[in-house]
Amino acid sequence: MTLPVTNRRLALVIGSGSVKCAAALGLWKVLQREGIALDMIVGCSGGSLYAAGIALGEDVDRFVASTLEMWTADVMSGYGSNLRAAMSREVAYTERSGLIDDTLVWERLCATYGEKSFADTRTPLAVVATDFYSGEKVVLREGRLADAVRASIAIPMIFPPWEVDGQLLTDGAVSDPLPVDVAIREGAHIILSMGFELSLRRRMRSFNAVQTHLNAIYMNNLLRASFAFYNAVHHAEIITVWPEFDEVISSFDVDKIPHIIAMGEKAAEEHVPYLKKLLQVG
Amino acid sequence: MDVVVYDERQATIIAVEGSIDALTADDFLQAMQAQISGGRTRLVADLSEVSYASSAGLRAILVALKESRQLGGDLRLAAVRKGVYRVLELSGFNSILKIYDDVETAVASYDEVAQA
Repeated sequence: MTLPVTNRRLALVIGSGSVKCAAALGLWKVLQREGIALDMIVGCSGGSLYAAGIALGEDVDRFVASTLEMWTADVMSGYGSNLRAAMSREVAYTERSGLIDDTLVWERLCATYGEKSFADTRTPLAVVATDFYSGEKVVLREGRLADAVRASIAIPMIFPPWEVDGQLLTDGAVSDPLPVDVAIREGAHIILSMGFELSLRRRMRSFNAVQTHLNAIYMNNLLRASFAFYNAVHHAEIITVWPEFDEVISSFDVDKIPHIIAMGEKAAEEHVPYLKKLLQVG
Repeated sequence: MDVVVYDERQATIIAVEGSIDALTADDFLQAMQAQISGGRTRLVADLSEVSYASSAGLRAILVALKESRQLGGDLRLAAVRKGVYRVLELSGFNSILKIYDDVETAVASYDEVAQA
């Protein structure tokens, strides 16, 4: 038997995927509606935004509104001109640089999470980032939530890395796009894994487009390789809640967030009967 | 989950109906191991009536795959539905397993081995 008779611990792991991670709000709606409680939550990159909200026990509808306010198009302001300046060496680009001024996103993270810390969460939370210099995965479990999320969403080259307790951190997706292993190590039996593959392009007409496409390929391959390993080694159950999107969704297609949430809800609903059976003890 | 086992030429078909998950994986594995321990190691899992598979189901497949191959046989999958194939694909299992469109083709793949 792969599951214990009693005390079946349920974890939710939300992986990286930029704006697609809003699908976690759809999953969260389903869990609330069905009265299914989580024992732990793990978030990585864009997934950490929602993992933190769920762990705090925020109101779903309020968090949907907060998401729409957070990811407006102006967050990406200056990307094109800064890219050109960095490529032509008009401006120096170092390991602490990014192509976007992160002032706005930091303000919005502070508006969303305020001064709340991991100690304020109702459900145990882990946020995954990556050590900028060594590439090792860093699991954050204490401190200010805004800092942890900011570090975890530091999309390489785009957002500057973020320093937490003297350690320079970048996007969690760089080391572990869907950190199911964190839930395994913490003793979860049933793991709801919500992962997202990056969309691939069919036509590329710029250096940046080719680079983005190739980045997406190796990020997707890293995701699948690590997920394959976790599936093979976990002693109990990993439920694959990966929404299948019916259209290409780019990293900052913020206008598609309502559709993304609906797709997350649909994907989660398909697993509810099985999940309820698993949670029935005896 | 229901399992029906029958022989087809030199292959043994394990036809499954339902889900292969944490609640059924042990039964599925036992059905395959009963064949392997009985010397029937050229297995074909007919998944045409399997609507759902999870990590626990995948690990049952992995165990039977290893045991059959260690004895010179194999576990091959046939008629995998789209949703189940997606789980196999995301977990990398499609790259280590031989998967066929239907049972007949999967059985025929063992004919080629027998003639070699």
